Amino acid sequence: MTINRREFIKANAVAAAAAVAGVSVPAMASNFITSSDLTKLKWDKAPCRFCGTGCSVNVGVMDGKVVATHGDIKSPVNKGLNCVKGYFLSKIMYGKDRLTTPLLRMTNGKYDKEGEFTPITWEQAFNVMAEKAKDALQKNGPEALGMFGSGQWTVQEGYAAVKLMKAGFRTNNIDPNARHCMASAVGGFMRTFGIDEPMGCYDDLEAADAFVLWGSNMAEMHPILWTRLTDRRLSAPHVKVAVLSTFEHRSFDLADNGMVFTPQTDLAILNYIANYIIETGRVNKDFVNKHTNFKLGETDIGYGLRPEHPLEQKAKNNGKTAGSSTSISFDEYAKFVSTYTAEYTAKLSGVPEHKLKALAELYADPKIKVTSFWTMGFNQHTRGVWANNLVYNIHLLTGKISTPGNSPFSLTGQPSACGTAREVGTFSHRLPADMVVANPKHRATAEKIWNLPEGTVPAKPGYHAALQNRMLKDGKLNFYWVQCNNNMQAAANINEEGYPGYRNPKNFIVVSDPYPTVTAQAADLILPAAMWVEKEGVYGNAERRTQSWYQMVEAPEGAKSDLWQLVEFSKRFNIEEVWSEELIAKKPEVRGKTLFDVLYKESSVGKFSLDEIPEDRLNHESREFGFYIQKGLFEEYASFGRGHAHDLAPYDRYHQERGLRWPVVDGKETQWRFKEGTDPYAKAGSGWDFYGHKDGRAVIFALPYEPPAESPDEEYDLWLSTGRVLEHWHSGSMTQRVPELYKAMPDALVYMHPDDAKARNMRRGDLVKLISRRGEVQTRVETRGRNKPPKGLVYMPWFDASRLVNKVTLDATDPLSKQTDFKKCAIKIVKV
Amino acid sequence: MTDNINTPTDEYHVASLVAYCMQDQIGEVTQAINAIEGAEIHATSVEGKIVLTLEGESHKTIGKKMDQLRIHQGLINLSPVYHQVLDEGQ
Repeated sequence: MTINRREFIKANAVAAAAAVAGVSVPAMASNFITSSDLTKLKWDKAPCRFCGTGCSVNVGVMDGKVVATHGDIKSPVNKGLNCVKGYFLSKIMYGKDRLTTPLLRMTNGKYDKEGEFTPITWEQAFNVMAEKAKDALQKNGPEALGMFGSGQWTVQEGYAAVKLMKAGFRTNNIDPNARHCMASAVGGFMRTFGIDEPMGCYDDLEAADAFVLWGSNMAEMHPILWTRLTDRRLSAPHVKVAVLSTFEHRSFDLADNGMVFTPQTDLAILNYIANYIIETGRVNKDFVNKHTNFKLGETDIGYGLRPEHPLEQKAKNNGKTAGSSTSISFDEYAKFVSTYTAEYTAKLSGVPEHKLKALAELYADPKIKVTSFWTMGFNQHTRGVWANNLVYNIHLLTGKISTPGNSPFSLTGQPSACGTAREVGTFSHRLPADMVVANPKHRATAEKIWNLPEGTVPAKPGYHAALQNRMLKDGKLNFYWVQCNNNMQAAANINEEGYPGYRNPKNFIVVSDPYPTVTAQAADLILPAAMWVEKEGVYGNAERRTQSWYQMVEAPEGAKSDLWQLVEFSKRFNIEEVWSEELIAKKPEVRGKTLFDVLYKESSVGKFSLDEIPEDRLNHESREFGFYIQKGLFEEYASFGRGHAHDLAPYDRYHQERGLRWPVVDGKETQWRFKEGTDPYAKAGSGWDFYGHKDGRAVIFALPYEPPAESPDEEYDLWLSTGRVLEHWHSGSMTQRVPELYKAMPDALVYMHPDDAKARNMRRGDLVKLISRRGEVQTRVETRGRNKPPKGLVYMPWFDASRLVNKVTLDATDPLSKQTDFKKCAIKIVKV
Repeated sequence: MTDNINTPTDEYHVASLVAYCMQDQIGEVTQAINAIEGAEIHATSVEGKIVLTLEGESHKTIGKKMDQLRIHQGLINLSPVYHQVLDEGQ
């Protein structure tokens, strides 16, 4: 019998892999078992909860536990494949140190900021939270309340949080960790196109003749997309791959043209390519004349540091005008980029002229369909919005955009950075569907949909991620709730800002997480969270694909989803405790009600009954609150975007599909936006229609190379770049719970060039200290392996909670996007 | 689920994977796979795709075998497809 069972599941495994690879295998004996217990396995689909690719995974549940997973063959994203992280997906829920009870810092049975973590009930936890929140509200007003969320929140969780903060507590101090990841991409989209998110889709991978990776190590960070790219390159010999980075990494293995450049000089390389296109007469004049405008952007905009920092004192235009621009002609633009010659750019960047030319030719040659990919190399950049603008320039100059294979494609790092952070608008300045709090019409739209009085949503943008840490330190943000992220490890300069902020006696910090992360341990109250298929949800991936999943297993006893926590907490507040008399007077019927009543139960969120949930489905939150809350939140949220080029399908349809790419119009998804024929919003006769701007035109920006905030000097003589490795996702709070992954890459090493090590009398494996002007961290030297930095630069991943590289990094941000530049600061390395 | 590699278990794990390699490296990668205990190749395509299974008694043994394979230079990519655990103690 045992043999039969083994043979049976092995045959299933082989059949799945063969189907994925498109190869045939000899028939295996797979029909031994007809009525065995193996057929008890209940299969269901869910998007992976790791990176932004949005793979669909089939999850096999038996006796309440996940026992099998496989790549979903029906998924157009991963076509049955998985990556190493996805393969171990089911195990993230079964780490030994899962939290199952709220923990409060206490001494002698009472809350004490300096006390020890002590188990308490949910009732006690909400009591102390509500007391602290009301206290902060009373003393310092709504601005004393804040929340830090995530691109890993489900769409419904992010939306419920936005509503609670912006309409309930009436503060815009809510930001997602996507601020560290995607804010520059958002800024780039809004500035060039007037609407967020990529115009292309993953189908570009099979249509392009050339791929250019700008500051993206897809081989490790987006393995499934890399598999598709590899497949394209191996099966079509004419396809070329160019890879640019500040150090050599695994993606260089497939590169026809690999280029290592000096940090920050990507700005110059992008302008050089524009100059090359113009000088060789390959501008697509018809496209440029019909569909673009040229603008000269403001320069010398500072580095988003505290105002007293010398760099900010020196910057001329770091105020409100930093994002402004003036119209110019094509000739003026051509003159602007003409200084970026091959010779100048090669000297500045360290990339040889012939390599730069080969790269530029991929864009300039009208016969080559080219797709550009980027992630953190562009986005975590003090000129991140500019870098995004500049790459669009070269696609727009040549008209290589919005058609299959011609695609400037911003990849995302989190499963719902697009869905939850960007589309829902969990940022301190945003509302759903690309709207912003500063715009009175947008606020009015939100208030109308929410059926709340005019003036409920405050007009002033709240504290963004880096500013939240600074305001905690300064004692201005006093009640702070962190969900679904590990910001104490992830944010820059935790020594000077983050940690003192959390431990400031004026503040009460709540952290919700499945595991005791660094951030949880820096908090005052820890709430145990449910994760992934322990709840129902929706994610939105990097190609605008919205995907849903059902709850499949129960969370461990005591752990509750972020959604349940947010909504349950709202019951603790009577409207009179959070709104002014003046506001209540505009809608007296809310008097005596709780935030739960006003925001959720009695709004359109509460209108779907439990009957709509299939009886055999788990749904902890809905059954507890008495209505189908995930559907209610989704439908209310979707009403912001329908008819405004952000259309989503009805909620129920997502349970049937492997996701759909918005805008979904007349039941059909959209693959390429802005192109007549593939995008229903592009006007007839337009050809291309960049409808995010009123005149239907995209903007080509003249923006220069400007130096980084900090560069190596005599004392701090090395560049430090930080990032991820394949085996660990972001801060490792989940993946380090999986022993296989931890074993594969247990400690964050510092990767350095053998000559740099030798010059400092160091050997591979030596214990060293990385020291910056802000702090220091110990680790060991690695001179071999897959990350090969050039001389003068070292690389250290940031997943290791015992070696916090962000004690060393600088919290310089892009002044436009407020996203931190984790990729460059100056350090020295000494032997311990 | 078993974490300790040395603990005998009643579990049987099987995973299927697709390996991608450069065409001129198919021979070498095939050898590398065959050298791993519990690995079996089921099909190879001319473009360089290899369908294989890994068997073992824990997540960990399979993870280790994947790591062993993944560092092979000729291998551009290794994608797991399917994984299942059988508890044979039941």
